[in-house]
This record gives sequence, structure tokens and C-alpha cells, in this order.
Amino acid sequence: MVLTEELKGFINTLVKAKKNIRLYPENNPMYQKTLNDVYRHLSDLLHYVDEISLQFKQFEILYDGEVIYRNEDKEESLALFFFKDGVRELTFLRGIPIEEVEDFLRIISTDFERQMVDDDVVTLMWERDFQFIKYVVDDTILVEDETYEEEAVKQVKEAVSDADIMKAYEEAFGLEKTEEVTIVPLTNDDIQSIVQQIEEEEEDRDKSQKLVYLLFEMLTYARGRSEYEEIINLIKEAIRYAVNRGNLETVIYTIKKIETAIKDRTYNEEVNTLLKGVQYFINSNVIISLLGDVLEAGAEFEEEVLEELAELLSKEAIPHMIKVLGELQNISSRKAIIRMLILLGRKDISLLAKGLSDRRWYVVRNIIYIMRQIRDPKGTEYIIPLLRHPDRRVKKEAIIALGELGVSNAVNLLKDALRDGDESVRITAVRAISQLASPLSKKVIMESIKSKDFRERDFQEKKEFFKALARWPDEETIDYFVGLLKKRSFFRRSRLEEMKAAAAYALGIIGCSDALEILNKLRNSKNPLLKENIEFAIARIRDAGGRA
Amino acid sequence: MQVEEPKHIINQLAVLVRTGMIHSTENVAVMKAIDRFIHLMRPYFEESDPLRIDLIGEFFYLNESRVRYPLEYLLNFDYLSREFRRRQLGTVKFSSQVSGADVKEFIKAFIRAGYSNTPFEALEAALEGVDSIQLERLKHVQEEEGIDKRRIVKKTYFNAVSFTKGVMNKLKAGEKVSIKKAKRVVESMVDLILEEEPLLLGMTAIKEYDDYTYHHSVNVSILSIAIGQKIGLHRRALTELGLVALFHDIGKMEIPKEILNKPTAFTEEEWEIVRRHPYWGARTILKLKGLDRAAILGAIVAFEHHMHYDHSGYPKVRELRNIDFYTRIVSIADQYDAMTSSRVYARVPLPPDKALSVMMERAGTQIDPVLFKFFVNMVGVYPVGSLVLLDTKEMGLVYECNPLFADRPRVMIIVDSRGHKIDGYIVDLTEKDESGRYVRTIVKTLDPNKYKINLAEYLL
Repeated sequence: MVLTEELKGFINTLVKAKKNIRLYPENNPMYQKTLNDVYRHLSDLLHYVDEISLQFKQFEILYDGEVIYRNEDKEESLALFFFKDGVRELTFLRGIPIEEVEDFLRIISTDFERQMVDDDVVTLMWERDFQFIKYVVDDTILVEDETYEEEAVKQVKEAVSDADIMKAYEEAFGLEKTEEVTIVPLTNDDIQSIVQQIEEEEEDRDKSQKLVYLLFEMLTYARGRSEYEEIINLIKEAIRYAVNRGNLETVIYTIKKIETAIKDRTYNEEVNTLLKGVQYFINSNVIISLLGDVLEAGAEFEEEVLEELAELLSKEAIPHMIKVLGELQNISSRKAIIRMLILLGRKDISLLAKGLSDRRWYVVRNIIYIMRQIRDPKGTEYIIPLLRHPDRRVKKEAIIALGELGVSNAVNLLKDALRDGDESVRITAVRAISQLASPLSKKVIMESIKSKDFRERDFQEKKEFFKALARWPDEETIDYFVGLLKKRSFFRRSRLEEMKAAAAYALGIIGCSDALEILNKLRNSKNPLLKENIEFAIARIRDAGGRA
Repeated sequence: MQVEEPKHIINQLAVLVRTGMIHSTENVAVMKAIDRFIHLMRPYFEESDPLRIDLIGEFFYLNESRVRYPLEYLLNFDYLSREFRRRQLGTVKFSSQVSGADVKEFIKAFIRAGYSNTPFEALEAALEGVDSIQLERLKHVQEEEGIDKRRIVKKTYFNAVSFTKGVMNKLKAGEKVSIKKAKRVVESMVDLILEEEPLLLGMTAIKEYDDYTYHHSVNVSILSIAIGQKIGLHRRALTELGLVALFHDIGKMEIPKEILNKPTAFTEEEWEIVRRHPYWGARTILKLKGLDRAAILGAIVAFEHHMHYDHSGYPKVRELRNIDFYTRIVSIADQYDAMTSSRVYARVPLPPDKALSVMMERAGTQIDPVLFKFFVNMVGVYPVGSLVLLDTKEMGLVYECNPLFADRPRVMIIVDSRGHKIDGYIVDLTEKDESGRYVRTIVKTLDPNKYKINLAEYLL
């Protein structure tokens, strides 16, 4: 009696769990609480008895002949849930581990009506092969024709009714002695080869590549437009299926198959036209977006695979890929798309450049970065206007790109940036101009350093500018640095000492031994910044072979 | 203490027996094997004392739970099972008091008993003073229990055929079919293969049904699952295999009835049509539902099941790729069942043993040779349904194969040694007389079809 009451409570816990486990993700505290509640409840009950057997009727659950649950609601009834799939008895055994309880709850929380599953509660329990949950199933729901067995048996018995056993017996003695089929014993190699094949079968779970192969072979046997279209649609489905499962090798294989088929004229013109439609599909927003979703979900791909796919995609995929780039949140998936765009973007810089007008600064910056990697000078015309982009991060990327792409009038284009209101932009610009290493570069940097307001800038910026100028270690530059070190002033002394420190630093980079004399003189400066940079310079010059 | 899986204990016992056969029981290798065996048993004593190892039918049981037949230990399991049988040993119980010396005594006695005409008695006598090890004689499955199981097997088989017929008819009428139900049907067959393999295989040996296509589909499914089980596929893979095998011939629905039921040989044009059924089958399966592994596998197998291991056969393909693993399994089952069945366009079926001979010649060219070895090991030299004459002048039908002694199946005697037709009783050809000689041995095989002798008479 007590147990019956307890069981009623347990069934209520199960009913709640059926909803909760479906509702909450595994890491949610509610999920864990639900699981623990069911497990504890069940373990407590199994403390009193070795096993609990529940019987199912259409709307009732019984224990020991007594109804412990009744619900006629077709949507909600736990009894009907089991009953409709043929479950008539469910037994929980003592010792059931929590993992088994969890798997059981997951099975009963499956929404068989809404989810497109090829399973029911019985097939799922069967696959899970529970050790502590036993069930009895009524398979009559599977029987298509109840009279089939009887009729088939009657028919086959009639067919053999005139068996001539005695004739066989008499003739047997006149026959030759039987030659045995020799059984070749199984060897360890045989077993290893089968084990290996089973493992390969497990690894190739999605089979999408084999499917694409099959569909191309089927195209040979297809007849007429509707059959061609049917198979072509299946190829598209196979691609979608493969991408969804993160199998880009299948997409690569398909693209190659199509290219070869069209080139070799494997199929007729009608099929070729349809195959071109598949090419279009692969480069479409459908597939590229799907790829983005898969990446975002955490799928990892080998770099070579991504690169091979990017090489094989056509320029039509570029806008879709830029769109995906803008949508992705995950850094590694963005990196993957960028890697692909570096290869794909080469196919049409102008299409790639369309991404530069994106309203999101990071997309623009990524596209400039991609153009930098592509190193196509045609990109510069699209990048130049971005020197005036409102976002400094974009501006900086554009400066770097122009510096790297080696445009003839790059210094003139970049020199305005040396007067930008943002320090980091100015630093980026001076680095880029310096990297261009033209006589004009030096002139522009020198002018900038000598400009009125330069002394007011932060030490870090000064240092960057002096370092940039140090790229030209000629007399003019060294004289300018040494001249600065010798300069004295009573006004705004700290700014001058910053200039001196930057000059010392630059002389150190140059490795100018002629400057050692003045550097040694200033070695005991009370200004820590100056002292530090002088020490740096002396050490560098010494390392470069000069004498201290 | 870590509890190792039961399969390791059975394997270690096999290793121990093998090592004991090679070396003296004083040898280090044997001692080490004994230590390991005891070490593996220890954690089990906490749950159950004594630890019980049973051989029931083809399977080992540890503390009454069936031990999964692992592929990596297949040879050792087979070996141990054979050696247990040779000694009529059915059960060994080791108590927690068992010592290395006790196990050594057991191994010594076990090896010696192999040379005795009354091996179980010899084994029992030798271990009389060893209290920590108890033995029981090998039991034969109770007949009554057998009758009940046979009823279940029959029901499952005919359900499957009737279901397949329903599915094919629905597909033909353009109606939707339930994959859930198909899975349930196949799962029930997998269960029976795991528990009652010989009985279910016996059902596939009954031919002469009118609905050849449906029976053939179910037979191929059963035989494929049985091969899959033999090579160690797990339950879910067995269901996949059974499903794809069940639908391998689905493309035949598209062949016009007048061709399919034509009693005379096909013309070249008709062959052309028949050879398109793999293509139709793959199309039908792929249209059945959305793409998933089961649908893809089904389409692959339907398309490839007439393509041979060496790429001969049909349909011809442009790009040569390895025939799929599942196709190679289904193809063996398909060929065997087709050859041993009476079809409209090939009325005279081959006797099972002749079919095996033909397939043996094809192994390595048309058939995967390694998988075929597993198949022969499964069905035996004289497959179920073979009509045989014994050296005792008894005649009978092979009723159940014996996976451990391929040439010594269980035979249903239908004519006794005095030449009298009888109702049928079953004999086991592994049975030996007091001098250790086999009581019965097959000397000749006959074509049961020639005399219209069929297992149906006795099995159904």
C-alpha cells in the first residue's frame, strides 16, 4: 500500500521530468535537479523491492494490478505515450545507475510528433540496450496481415506434399561420396582486416561522398528531364547534408566531379546545364550561410580543406561569404572565412571591395586585411578613400595596406595621416611611410618631426617617429639626432629631454659609434627617461661593434 | 578494484588453456596467465561468490549474464567453446578462495581430460580435492523451451515477410511507409539472431513460397544480420544492415510483372530492364524520406548489390570505387538465398551445399573472400536444409549448423538406418561413442529439391 502511494509520486516525478528534460539544456540546474529527483525517487523505491514492474493500458499505468496513474489526455498521458508504441510492461531493476536513468529520461522526452525521427520509444530503448530497464512489447502493431503466416505455411506445405523421400533414400546409395567444401580457417589477418573495415565504416558515418558518387553514376542511367532533375536535386540535397555535417570534402569532391563531367562531356547537354545549376547552388547564399552556421556551431576544419574549397568556389560566392563574415560572432569561425576569402577574393577584387562599404567597421577592416594578403595593387583604389573612414581601426588598416601594397604615390596619400587627430593613426602612418623607404618618405617624416607641434606629442609617438627616421642613417639624420642631444634649453625642458631620449634611442638603433661621445657625456643625466634611452643606445652601439 | 569487462575473463581463460597446452603448467608463461586470470576474477567476488562461467548454446555467460562476442577475441572464444564442448563441460564455478595452485590443477585436469573417452568424468575426478572449483556437465537446451522459441521465431519471420510485402505494395501505390515500423521489424530479427540464430537461419532455408520477392528480402536481411553478428557489428549497426538488406531489391517493384513472372529465359531487351532495378531501387529509397545515414546506405546497397567484388556484374559504373562494406555482406546473403531458392526465371534451385561450392569458386572475384569465410563458418559446410545420408544409413535434413564444428551439424533424421520413413528426430553429429569415435558422419549429400523434400514439413 505504502509502495503504491510512493509509486504514484514517482510517476508524477516522471511526468514532470518528461517535460523538464526536453525543456532545459544539460548544463541547466533545472535539468540536473530533475534528473536527480527521478534517480533518488527510483533508488528509494528499489530499496524496498528488487524490481518495479509497471503495466501499461491505453490510459492507465498499473502496479501489481492496481491503477497508479490515469490520464486520458492524448497529448499528456504518460500511459498512452508508452502504450501506442506497443510497450506493455516496463521494469526497473535495483542497482540502476544514474546514466541509465538519464538516457531513459532523454528517450521519453523526445518529441516524436514534432521531431522528424525514424524512431519510437521502443527503437530508442532497444538501441540503448538498457541493463537495468526491461520492457515487454506487443508487436502486433507491426503485423500488416494477421492471416499471412497461416496462409504461407499452408501454401508451402502443399508445395512439398508429394515429397518422394524413399526414392531419394534409394538413389542416395548409388551416388558418389560427397566432396566437402573445405573451410578455410579464419586467420588473425582476416579478423584484423574486418576490424579495420568496421572502423572505417564508423569513421565514414555520413557517407555523403559515396552518395554523391552514387548519384553521378545514377545520372548515367536516368532517362528524361524529370529523372535528371530528380537526381540533380538529390545532389543538391547531398551537398546540403554534407555541409550540415561538416563534411567539406564531399563539397570539394562534388565540384571536381562536375568540372570533370562538363569538361569531358560525360553527360548530355541537358544534364550539363543542370550540373551548372549545382555549381551555382554550391556558391549560393544557401550553402555559404550553412557553412557559416556550421562554423559558428564550433565545427573545426583542416586548413587545407578550407583552402581547397576556397580555390574551387567561384567568385559568385564572394558576396555571400562577406555577408557571413559580418554575421559570425566566433573568432575562429571568422578567421576561417577570412582565410577562405583571401583565396577566393583574388578571383574578383571588385566584388571583394563591395564589402568595404559595409556599415560594420570590423567587416571593412577584415576586407582590407584580406586585400593586404591578396597583395593585388588593384585593391589600392578601393582602399584610398578609407583613409578618411570615421573609424580609426579601419583607417589604420587602410594605412598599413597602402604601405604594403607599394602604390607609387603612397607617401603623398599617407602624409596627411601623420597629422591625424588620433595618435595611434599617426604612429601607424609613420610606420607605413617608413616602410615605403623612398626619399620622399624621409622628407615627409623629417618635416613632420620638425613641425611646430611635434615636440608636444607623447614620448611614445616621438620615439616611433625617430625610429622611422632611423631607417635612413645618413649624415643628415645623424647630425639632426646628435644636434638634438647637444641642444640646451631652460624652457619646456622636459619636452626637449623627451626629444633627446628619442634621438638617443634612434642613434642606438642605427648603431652609430660616432654618437658615443655625446651619449657618454649625457650618461649621468638626472632625467630617468633620457638616462634609460642613452643606456639603451650605448649598449646597442657596443653590441654592434662600437666602443663605449 | 577496477572491474574489467567479462569478455576479458573469458578470453584470459582461453589464453590460459592455450598456454597450458603448449607449456608445462610450471612454466612462467602459464603462471603469469594464472595470476592474471585470478586478478581479473577478484573484483567479481565482491558481487558474487562463486563466480560462475557457463557455456549455453553458442555463448558464454558470466554470473548468468551473456558475454558479448567480441571480434578481437573471436578465435579465443571459439577455441574455448570448442574445448569446453569436447570435455562436455558446461559450467565452472570459482569461489573467492581459489588459489593459483587450484587454477593450475584445473588446467592440468582440463588438458588431460581432452584425451579421455569420458572427459567430463575425468575432469571431475581430477578436481575432487579442489573445493574452490566446481564443475557442471554441459546441458542441452530443453526441447519444450525450444518449441516455444520456435513459435516466436516463426512469428517474427512471417511478421517480417508480411510487413515487407505491405511496404512494397504501399510504395508501389505511392503511399508513405513507416521506417519506424521497419526498424522494429528488423530489431526483432536482430534480437533473434543474437539469441536464437540457428532457429532463425532455419527459417531462411524453407523455400517454395509463392511470394518469393518478400521472403527473399527477409531471408537476405536475416542472413546479412547473421554475418554482421559474426563479424562483431554492434546492435545499432546490425539494425542498419538488416534494414538496408531488407530493401535491397526494392527496385524490382518497377519491373513489369510480365517480365518478372516470365517462366522462360529473358530476352536481351528484358534483361536490359531487369538490370535497371538497382538504379530504380536507389531512387525509390532516396525519395522515401529525407537524407540520413539509413537512406544513403539503403540506396548504396540497392544500387551495388549486383556489382561484384571485382567490379564485374551490373550496373556498370564510370568511376571505380570500392564496393561498400554493407553491400559486400548483403551481396553474399543475396547470392546464397537466390541460388538456393526456386525463382520464376530459375525454377531449379541449387542444394545449399552446392550453392556454397559455387560461391566458394566466386570468392575473391565476385565475392569478398574474407566475408565469405565468415559466412561459411556461420552456415557450416552443410547449411540448414541440406539433405544428407549418414554413415549409419540414416537420411536426414540438416536442421541446425554448428559454428564450432562446421561439418558436424544437427540433423533431423527422416529415414532410419533400416530404411523406414520416420517422423523425424534430431541428432547431433558431434556426439561420440564410448571409444571416442563420432557416432554419425555425413557421407553423401543429395538435392532435396529433386525429391521435393523440404524443411517446411518439419520446421513449420
